[in-house]
Amino acid sequence: MFDFIAYPMANLILLFYTFLGHSTIAAIAALTILINALVLPLTLSQQKSARKMQGFQPELEKLQKKYAKDKERLAQEQMKLYKEAGINPMGGCLPLLIQMPIWFGLINAIRYCIPSTPLDLFQFSHHIYKWLPGVVGLVPLQSTFLGMDLGRPPNSVQWWSYSLPILVFATSWLQQKLLTPPTTSDDKSQAATMSQQMQIMMPLMMMFFTLQYSTGLSIYFVISNLIRLAQYYLVRRDRGDEKAGSKGETQLKQRKQ
Amino acid sequence: MSWTGLVTVGEILYAADLEQVVALNAADGKPLWAFPKDPKEDRRGVFTVTPAVGEGRVIAASQVPASGFLSQPKNVVWALDRDTGSLLWHFDGAAGQYVEGGALGGDLFIIGNSDGNVYALDVESGGLRWVFETGHRVWATPLIASDRVYIGSMDRHLYALNLSDGKVLWDFHTDGAFASTPALQDDTLYVGAFDDRLYAIDAHAGTEHWRFGSANWFWGGPVVYNDTVYATDVSGNVYAVDAETGEQVWHQPLNVPVRAGPALSEDGSQLFVGSQNGILYAMDTSDGFVLWSVESGGQVLPMPVVSGSVIYELMINGPHRIRALHADNGREIWAYPHVVEE
Repeated sequence: MFDFIAYPMANLILLFYTFLGHSTIAAIAALTILINALVLPLTLSQQKSARKMQGFQPELEKLQKKYAKDKERLAQEQMKLYKEAGINPMGGCLPLLIQMPIWFGLINAIRYCIPSTPLDLFQFSHHIYKWLPGVVGLVPLQSTFLGMDLGRPPNSVQWWSYSLPILVFATSWLQQKLLTPPTTSDDKSQAATMSQQMQIMMPLMMMFFTLQYSTGLSIYFVISNLIRLAQYYLVRRDRGDEKAGSKGETQLKQRKQ
Repeated sequence: MSWTGLVTVGEILYAADLEQVVALNAADGKPLWAFPKDPKEDRRGVFTVTPAVGEGRVIAASQVPASGFLSQPKNVVWALDRDTGSLLWHFDGAAGQYVEGGALGGDLFIIGNSDGNVYALDVESGGLRWVFETGHRVWATPLIASDRVYIGSMDRHLYALNLSDGKVLWDFHTDGAFASTPALQDDTLYVGAFDDRLYAIDAHAGTEHWRFGSANWFWGGPVVYNDTVYATDVSGNVYAVDAETGEQVWHQPLNVPVRAGPALSEDGSQLFVGSQNGILYAMDTSDGFVLWSVESGGQVLPMPVVSGSVIYELMINGPHRIRALHADNGREIWAYPHVVEE
């Protein structure tokens, strides 16, 4: 189903492998950087949206205190605030949804380049772009990294391969924590509960996902998460230590005028 | 997922039939025995590897699926009694999947594994006699001749090993992985690789005689007859190449995905090629002309097997698993399992 993305990705891996000293890890890392560069506008808007939400936290807290006994009114006022500020509270999900085909394409691309079953390899043999320099004879790529078989899921024989899904969990959790707008302890709205659950559910899902697929995919997720964390800190540093709360209030006032 | 394989010895056909190894009467396809007898009760995994048949033994391999979350599938070699199909011994010491079958030589059974090793097992007991480690998966069936094992690896080497102890006699390095069994004639090995080349190599010294370029990978093994090498690439190009010089004699593009190498009729006049889209082709070995072709309804990924005037094909995802056809016109003789009309 995702082969229309997987074949070009697999060929890109082959090309990177050719020019990066025949290192599978370097080729996957290069593809990860390229994919992250392509989805940069999406991730930046996700991070911007999250920062904006953080900026409006004092306003949200005021509303929660004001309408503590009227949940329906609270939800209405919160939505009104989001609308006035031009924030989509679910805006963080869109970049994730758009990236789903990329993940599935990547799973197949790794399966083709470092195949564990012969039918995958046979299928890919008809989709190698032989006009690319140096790709003839490359497949299957070298599959061993630190004694792990990158084409196989983590397994008890190579027990240390389980460290990769754990790393995926840790980096995803950190990323979620930084990007998800914080909620106050007394915020019991549905959106806030969902947001809190997502903080733990998403990293857990990613971890179980990577337990089922080749360890090469875990490498992609770890590098990808690290890039986004670095990106988050770089953007923050460039903008200085903004007083998020006061900025949010100013923005809202400006918008109301 | 992999493909299955079959072999005929005398009047009996032995096949890896996914959940079973079966012995069929080659004349009418009637089952003689199966291992395990009841695969629903007695689960021995998925048999995809072409069985090796020797003195009193049939040796096959399967992958037993993981029994629970985080558990690993087991990869097992099974030695069965050739007459009854009863279990003699099994070996589960390899970490990876067995993709292609093994070969029998002397008192050893040699088989490659996806864990990158070549295993030599004692035919009598199943005990491990030696292991040879390569740099990548081993998805090729070895060729055993004159106390030597010739086996290719995905690490782009073709190895000549001493049969008795697995010591390397020579290794031949190319730009592409090896997944096919070499053909041997007059001390020359003919083998294709994933660098789109067919090689002729001195069997004693491991030196190259010639190389022949094609459009895509050679996955199936070539066959040699009357100083001509016949080989197919995965894009369905069939080549006849002069065994002495490496010059092309003829080329027939079938334009279909072909995984396995060709099979020759016993008199060398016909060449049979199975394709992934289910068509089996019979070609004239003198010029590559397609004499007939039949559709199977499945995917013909293993090499067809010829015995006398009958050709046997094994398919996956088809209405049948095995079919016996007349070699002269492709007409069906029998199919297994027999489909019962309701």
